[in-house]
Amino acid sequence: MNRILMSCRVNGEDHTCLADPRDTLLELLRERLQLTGTKEGCGNGNCGSCTVLVDGAAVCACLVLAGEAQGVEVTTVEGLAASGGGRHPVQQALIDHGGTQCGFCTPGIIMSAVALLRENPDPTDAEIRHAIAGNICRCTGYEKIVRAIASAAAEIRS
Amino acid sequence: MNDTGDIDWAARNTVVGKRLARVDAGERVTGTARYPADMKLPGMLHAKVLRSPHAHARIMRIDTGPALALDGVKAIVTANDFNDIPVGATIPMGEAGYDMWMVARINIAKDKVFWVGQPVAYVAATDPHIAEAALDLIAVDYEPLAAVMDIDAAMAPGAPIIHENVVTTGVEQPPHGHHGPSNICSRTVIERGLPGIAMEAAFATTSIEVRIDTAHQGYIEPQAMLAAVDANGMATVWASTQGQHTTEIMIARMLDRPQSRLKVVPLEIGGGFGGKIAIHGEAACVRLSELTGRPVRLVLTREEVFQGGSGPPAAARHRITVGAEPDGSLVAIDGLYHMDAGGLPGLSPGLMMQASAALYQCPNLRLEGYDIVTNKPRTEAYRGPGGIQAYFAMEQAMDALCQRLDIDPLAFRQRNAAVTGSTMPIGTPFPSIGLTTILDHVARHPCWTDPLPTGDMPRGRGLALGYWRGTSMTSACQISIAGDGRPMVTMGSADISGTRTTMAQVAAEQFQLAIGDVHVAMGDTKSVGYSDGAAGSRLARTMAAAVVEASTKALDVLRSRAARLLQADPGALTYAKGTFRQAASSGSEISLAEIMQATLTEGAIIETGVSTKLPLGVEVGAHVADVEVDSETGQVTVLRYTAFQDVGRALNPAAVEGQIEGSVVQGLGWALTEGFDYGADGRLRNASMLDYRMPTALDVPPIDTVIIETPVPDVPYGLRGVGEVPIVPVAGCIANAIARAIGTRVTEMPMTPERVLRAIRQSAS
Amino acid sequence: MNPYTYQKVTSLDAAVMARGAADCFVLAGGTDLIAQMKAGHRRPSTIIDVKTIPEMTAVSAAPDGSLEIGAAVSATSLAGDDRIRARHPALHDAVQLIGSRQIQNRATLGGNVCNAAPSADAVPPLIVDTATARILGPGGMRTMPLEDLFAGPGRTHLAPSEILVSLVLPSPAARSASAYLRFTPRREMDIAIVGAAARLTLGPDHRIVEARIALASVAPTPIRAPSAEAKLAGHPITAGIIADAATAAQSDAAPISDTRASADYRRELIAVLVRRALFRCAARIGVDVPQ
Repeated sequence: MNRILMSCRVNGEDHTCLADPRDTLLELLRERLQLTGTKEGCGNGNCGSCTVLVDGAAVCACLVLAGEAQGVEVTTVEGLAASGGGRHPVQQALIDHGGTQCGFCTPGIIMSAVALLRENPDPTDAEIRHAIAGNICRCTGYEKIVRAIASAAAEIRS
Repeated sequence: MNDTGDIDWAARNTVVGKRLARVDAGERVTGTARYPADMKLPGMLHAKVLRSPHAHARIMRIDTGPALALDGVKAIVTANDFNDIPVGATIPMGEAGYDMWMVARINIAKDKVFWVGQPVAYVAATDPHIAEAALDLIAVDYEPLAAVMDIDAAMAPGAPIIHENVVTTGVEQPPHGHHGPSNICSRTVIERGLPGIAMEAAFATTSIEVRIDTAHQGYIEPQAMLAAVDANGMATVWASTQGQHTTEIMIARMLDRPQSRLKVVPLEIGGGFGGKIAIHGEAACVRLSELTGRPVRLVLTREEVFQGGSGPPAAARHRITVGAEPDGSLVAIDGLYHMDAGGLPGLSPGLMMQASAALYQCPNLRLEGYDIVTNKPRTEAYRGPGGIQAYFAMEQAMDALCQRLDIDPLAFRQRNAAVTGSTMPIGTPFPSIGLTTILDHVARHPCWTDPLPTGDMPRGRGLALGYWRGTSMTSACQISIAGDGRPMVTMGSADISGTRTTMAQVAAEQFQLAIGDVHVAMGDTKSVGYSDGAAGSRLARTMAAAVVEASTKALDVLRSRAARLLQADPGALTYAKGTFRQAASSGSEISLAEIMQATLTEGAIIETGVSTKLPLGVEVGAHVADVEVDSETGQVTVLRYTAFQDVGRALNPAAVEGQIEGSVVQGLGWALTEGFDYGADGRLRNASMLDYRMPTALDVPPIDTVIIETPVPDVPYGLRGVGEVPIVPVAGCIANAIARAIGTRVTEMPMTPERVLRAIRQSAS
Repeated sequence: MNPYTYQKVTSLDAAVMARGAADCFVLAGGTDLIAQMKAGHRRPSTIIDVKTIPEMTAVSAAPDGSLEIGAAVSATSLAGDDRIRARHPALHDAVQLIGSRQIQNRATLGGNVCNAAPSADAVPPLIVDTATARILGPGGMRTMPLEDLFAGPGRTHLAPSEILVSLVLPSPAARSASAYLRFTPRREMDIAIVGAAARLTLGPDHRIVEARIALASVAPTPIRAPSAEAKLAGHPITAGIIADAATAAQSDAAPISDTRASADYRRELIAVLVRRALFRCAARIGVDVPQ
């Protein structure tokens, strides 16, 4: 089996690793770089559990080839801690508002929310729901997730 | 909103009853919570599953030779590599034992396959691509057999028989008059009074017949597991499971492995809802690890999960007829229920049937239910198994009766509501319930008193009730006191509803400490006593009882050590907030930390708590929804949704709301857009999350929850089960709202836009 | 997934050269291609990544008001383009309906067109806006009407050696607007059960100068609805004319029953969506048509 050298920049750090040329970005992150915070729920872009930021845009890592990750900035949930080690307001708000239960959809939801708030700092509930419509959650019914993201938005604005 | 009636119970407690953040939320939001697919061990192999392409076939021959020869393939197992489990074998799990033959067959087919996707072989290879390629090289000779894909086909005279050894139980006269194998596995009848006569004499009757498609629990994490057998033959399985102990028993039986040589470590579970009670590959991974001497990891794909690799809840066909007097008093209920068990016999529908009629006081009833096999995946539990399907029928029948009699649906429920002590369908009296209290809350709530807002499209408001009995079974925990005096709780069951947090609250309350002073973990099967799994709405309430017992015992030991250190009589000490004090004026005191530091070398304080057969805390709910129907496309928009539920006492309102909100959205999914579409060849045509349509955040409104508290007597904290009943009313509630909007009933679930439009067209013509 | 070679190409010439290899597939957003590769439906030997080719990633306006949209521009970029929102509102509608936010950040018009699903959301808007496809092959550049590009479900008339470079949309006339509506059971994520795009151009007297209607998911390829268009052209715009056109559109289509919907249901939806799309066009032009 053919391994090739791949390099990529993830969470502000440069990495080089041996990967299978067929790897998706999701496999590169989880299996080659041991960044298992990003999850696989469906493998074909229909659940959003694998959402990461590529050059700031939320995308499904399962539908990006590892080869495409050369020369772009990838941000995963592991890269969100504030300088000084604190939590991103979206992370803290999900804790405070009960917006996470089994936790499997949570990293993907966080990345979608972070992308939303960078572009739209004062979203309506409808805009929040639209931004996370590509992230399926089965445990929470979305109720507390939406409240948490709205609360995080207010926190960031203040 | 939280209504505790006259007593503000939460104010009397310092930790229990508080809306606290999950103690394990930090791991989840940072991506550091560990699920089995996140784990890696040196030398790990990757497993893949060869699955049946046929819905019904005999396995004539399996040749693994070419696959084993592929470079990188290390082992392959088939049915011959497992203990032979006979039909009828059970394991001592839960209330009545658990069908172990069924567990064996959902993990590996033997001689026959009964559904597309049933496992036939497992491969372990050094790389997942190699394992995948090996599947294509395993040669299986099948003799395809005629398959039956739905209840009607399975029940028809002359239908191909799926199990030659199954003869209908519960009947004197077998169906179709011939004594022989049947796809109808059992008949169950519950009867009281003179239902036939009463229905004849009733002033008004309504009847509804419904069909429900198979759906899926929809957990976002596919099944995943990692097994490793060490050099001494000790096997460890890291699992995403609802019950580590029950998983251990299933693995042990399938492999004929002594339980002392097996340990199951529960990791985080990305959703279960009933679908991760049975094992799905764990025993195979242990066997592969035994054969190869290397750890083996198996992670199912989403397609596998849907395409026969897991057990969905049951499709059904029900007919409910109800009769009443002019004032709405019920006189008769007649229910005919058919449950589609999938490819192996299922359970008696008795529990589900009784649940469907339980909330109504009705002197005459007859409930007749059938368990039927078809060539689809063997069904497994999903939040109150059978409940939402049965209530889709029952609540529509009741609502139609209200329309016939021109009676307000809430007033109707109040007139006929079961109360504490009323006779349940199987003849026993209802334990403590607060249904009438719930209905009073509904009557006063704006969701009921606000007029239905008008719009361009038809709108309607629906009401439905829900009941689920839940279970108690066994829960065990262990509390050890750390050197700093703080309690460390190990739970014997997995956490699927936030029990790490709620048990931390219970322990903190017992020890009068802050929640941050208590550590709670899920234990592996060798570090804590047997517990049944997290299922059946049982865990928080029974584990709370176990924690109370263990806390009491630990505090007793601490008291005796404190007494010795203070040279006082144990009975003369008072305990408050982590400190023992002498009641007398000498004022000497000692903290838990000081006790432990002074007695560290005397031995650990480790106390167990076990709860078995705790009195039941049955679950009751009522839901109200407003919908709008696009009368040109049939699309339904849920405008407003309010769920009322009696939880006994809310250990943590945020956790309770979370269970309710999540369940409601699951129910909305099955009610409106989720359903499996099987082709005639037995293949699922929508085995992806694109075409199996679970609600997105845009598809559901905000969910309002109203918590009501009617405590259960003689149970710690008066707790009821919480997690199952909130899905039960949803489909009936939405169906009633749609019926009020469009003037006709939709009797197929999910009530897709196409089906709603068809109902509109049919009623217009 | 079978093994393949991944190659990033940075110029059109390099792309055409690489495309000459057997089983070479073009990768833009990848949201269709990668999913199909994982399912084993497409097995490329080579994949050429075109996302850094300037001509394919630009949206440029010509002096005559036409817009040239590079085949590898993401749906999200197009959704944020004010020129598209103003001049080609149906396309603006469509690019916000493809999949989810995550999909839209990657998906492209080139991918939507060349994947050639009958349900492709961007195609009916491109058809009603009379899009021209610019195609580069070893022999040079050629153009063809976009609506003639489709050969069947999943197939276009592109030769294996050709690349779709861009789509050119002519400047719309005055008093003209387009709209795209589709029906899905959920509010996002789903494949369209039926999609309908319409463009209306009105004369000064509210007479319909031109009507173009295109449908998705109701035939082996995206199709025009000529019977519907014939009901509209030359007539003053009224609710009655719109209703006639909507009904006529049903006969232009040949929907099938599949796991997503029955043919009968699709037929019903055609009339509903065409009607609603036409009303939306009128509203966008600023003309109120009493219902």
